[in-house]
Amino acid sequence: MLLLDYQNVLIESILRDRLAPDAAPTSIDQIASDFDNVTFHISTPQAKTKILVSIAVKCWKELVSYGAQAVLEREYGPYIVQPEQGYDFSVEVDLENLPASPEEREDLVRRVSLLKRNAMAAPFEQAFDEFASLQEQAAQYSSEAAPQGVREGGAVRAIHYREEEAIFIKASHDRVTVIFSTIFREETDRIYGKIFLQEFVDARKRGVQNAPQVLFRDDPPLELQGQPGLSAKKGEVGYITFVLFPRHLTAQRREEVISHIQTFRDYFHYHIKASKAYIHSRMRRRTADFLQVLRRARPEAEEKERKTASGRTFRVQG
Amino acid sequence: MSQSLRPYLACVRQTLTAALSLSDFASQTSERHNVPEIEAASSPEVLLNPLTVSRNQEERVLVEPSINSVRVSIRIKQADEIEHILVHKFTRFLTQRAEAFFILRRKPVPGYDISFLITNFHTEDMLKHKLVDFIIQFMEEVDKEISEMKLFLNARARFVAESFLTPFD
Repeated sequence: MLLLDYQNVLIESILRDRLAPDAAPTSIDQIASDFDNVTFHISTPQAKTKILVSIAVKCWKELVSYGAQAVLEREYGPYIVQPEQGYDFSVEVDLENLPASPEEREDLVRRVSLLKRNAMAAPFEQAFDEFASLQEQAAQYSSEAAPQGVREGGAVRAIHYREEEAIFIKASHDRVTVIFSTIFREETDRIYGKIFLQEFVDARKRGVQNAPQVLFRDDPPLELQGQPGLSAKKGEVGYITFVLFPRHLTAQRREEVISHIQTFRDYFHYHIKASKAYIHSRMRRRTADFLQVLRRARPEAEEKERKTASGRTFRVQG
Repeated sequence: MSQSLRPYLACVRQTLTAALSLSDFASQTSERHNVPEIEAASSPEVLLNPLTVSRNQEERVLVEPSINSVRVSIRIKQADEIEHILVHKFTRFLTQRAEAFFILRRKPVPGYDISFLITNFHTEDMLKHKLVDFIIQFMEEVDKEISEMKLFLNARARFVAESFLTPFD
């Protein structure tokens, strides 16, 4: 439970139940939420055998402009249908027309549950491709002679995937830079976040030498100059830069790297919250200890023997 | 216990024991009232000299005695931002439960992190030396707790960061 899953567990379990060989078709109408205000709708509007899975993403327009449609067509091809009313993208799984082998069915379940990941992957894939072509171009020049475009790298791709937070991706000839802007709602979060990020920055020095370089600052980094909608106010917003080196961008690793880096923001905030909860429960325990000590200061009320006027004593009948 | 902590706590203990000789004293300014004089401060002649015991610049205890009440304020060590926020959270947590703590003041005296108010009624129905023990133990444990929480936070952060970055390796 340390690392977050990439797929949506609810979709995965619903589909796996439905796709089991002996499952009887039933009607489904389920809304599932995911991180980053993503909403899924799983339903069977026409027939019990036709499961429609729709996704609504806040930054859908941006994703399409970075080639999300092509990525999703590649992943879901024949399953794509007209988007459901109020959602951005839909796929339909027909239970009467399933792939034959259990492996293929399992693969289908996995792919549908990765819908959000695939939608968000488009700008990353585009940037990684751009990196590959820039790298090829750069190989023809020496570092001084390279034309401006090759030296500077491509344009910044911005994904405003939450109200006030965004991911920026920029490809150069020797790296891809991914910048997360994240907002800290309160002072405590900001300080906890700072401790966590400091460890992210230092992790490379300690053991994980091949990890991407991580940088942290609380004003917009130079790469983002000229981006609209950046808050100039210091403190509340943090910028975390991941520098992905060519070794992370190879074809066989890119799937994994894209999935993993997408979970960063949620992973990071999840652990801040978890630490706060732990510290809170710890303070509760310590407070109980202090109360115990204070209670000791109160002398025990001594049970005195009570007597009647004639000298008899009361005794509780046991 | 560190070398400088022992005399510091011993000194606070002596000071508190001396200050906690309280007696019942009805208000001189309003009839049929009996209020802690150190808080009301309406008759200067019943207030005694306040005393500060400091361990260093950061840590100190202010003891303000009067005829029927003593106010003890503690400033807890805060070396950096993290400790500051942890101290703040912890003291807030305690003061929100002030009712259960009898002698805890809901609001600390300015410049201090937490204050206790001990009146003659408290010393009448509680054992005086145990009250002093409580304050001393509180001071000891609060420092320990804060530094443990800080260590925990750093350890967790390190672990979390390494687990996130390892899949890239």
